[in-house]
Amino acid sequence: MRGFVVSLVIAAIASAGCSSSTQPQPTASAAPAAADPPLEPGRQLSALAPSNLAKPRPKPPFEVTGNWFIDVSKNPEAWRFGPPYPKLTPAAQVHWDAAKKYTAEGKVYRDDIGQCWPAGLPLIMTRYWPMAMVQIPTAIYMISGFMNSVRIVYLDGRKHTDLDIIVRTYNGESIGTWEGDTLVVDTIGFRGDHHWMDQGGVAIPAGEQLHIVERFRMVDNQLEIEYTMTDPDHWEGEWKSTKRFNRVIDEDIQEVSCLPDLNEHLQSTTSKTQVLR
Amino acid sequence: MKSVLLGAWAVVLAFAVPALAHHSPAAFDRSKEVKLVGTVKEFRWQNPHTWIEVLVPDEKGKEVLWGVELTSPTYLVRAGWKSNIIKPGDKVTVVVNPVRSGEPAGIFRSMTLADGRVLTERPARLGTPDSK
Repeated sequence: MRGFVVSLVIAAIASAGCSSSTQPQPTASAAPAAADPPLEPGRQLSALAPSNLAKPRPKPPFEVTGNWFIDVSKNPEAWRFGPPYPKLTPAAQVHWDAAKKYTAEGKVYRDDIGQCWPAGLPLIMTRYWPMAMVQIPTAIYMISGFMNSVRIVYLDGRKHTDLDIIVRTYNGESIGTWEGDTLVVDTIGFRGDHHWMDQGGVAIPAGEQLHIVERFRMVDNQLEIEYTMTDPDHWEGEWKSTKRFNRVIDEDIQEVSCLPDLNEHLQSTTSKTQVLR
Repeated sequence: MKSVLLGAWAVVLAFAVPALAHHSPAAFDRSKEVKLVGTVKEFRWQNPHTWIEVLVPDEKGKEVLWGVELTSPTYLVRAGWKSNIIKPGDKVTVVVNPVRSGEPAGIFRSMTLADGRVLTERPARLGTPDSK
């Protein structure tokens, strides 16, 4: 029994390895991890299950806990993932052409984010709002200041959910693994409706085959994320883009909702002639 | 003096304007500015956009309700705004970039209060002159 308790303590310390050294060290009081009941067959331990948190893991190379904001100091359009844009398929080219045409006419084409649909990945990462990230041993919880969109990157070694049971979402299902000093995040399981890769005069759909690989690194006190994105329904080959994010230390995210009365008072979002479907 | 001076204020901005946080920026004509001299009907301090409704008399004296959208309170606070800085009935002069459709709406550029104070949105801790 004693050996069991010791192993739990060691596991708890290991799991807390990414925490500040000023935090109290876990003691035998961490033992409730043992209280997790056995899982039903086929179930995955929650990222917040004490026994999952307590599993021994190597100390991560870096932590992303903080508020992050896209670096637009050199380019205010850096929130976009192009140009350059990839060669589009005919299915996507239709939307690209329509957006260019309507923009030239002073109209807006399918601005679903403006109509309160979720921005989704990748655009949610580069809104002009801070992204709060909290890293624990098993996951990174991200909450965007924009509409409080939630994204979870699992770090606990799980595999992607089978596509025949996955619940598709606009931010998808993200699994992170460490490769040296880089966190590689693989995301699939996207919704393919009302989901776009750009906004404001550029319309490229994001479909259910969208696959995004992000390589997170800490570079010069910035968070760098290198994006490699494929969606054979909408473009050819790999669409690559690298973003840098700055820490925000004087601002926390707030509750932000897209409420019906908001759009009623923003004519730019409500006009029937402006937002073409 | 005309209440609405469309075109006379037209300028070409020397820098790109970033996306709005909520919706497409394509609706606005950033090359034009319109000066609205009118009365505040409503001021809503909220996320993701603060907005003002201003009653502006047109050339025939008929009041037209203009919708003016602003950035979020987070940035406005940094520029000295408060939730009670204007209230219904206040006389204001607001400069906007109008929507391209010709509807009475636009995105905020600046506002002059009755006491002469001029309010703008905070340009940027983000490192650009016009970040929102």
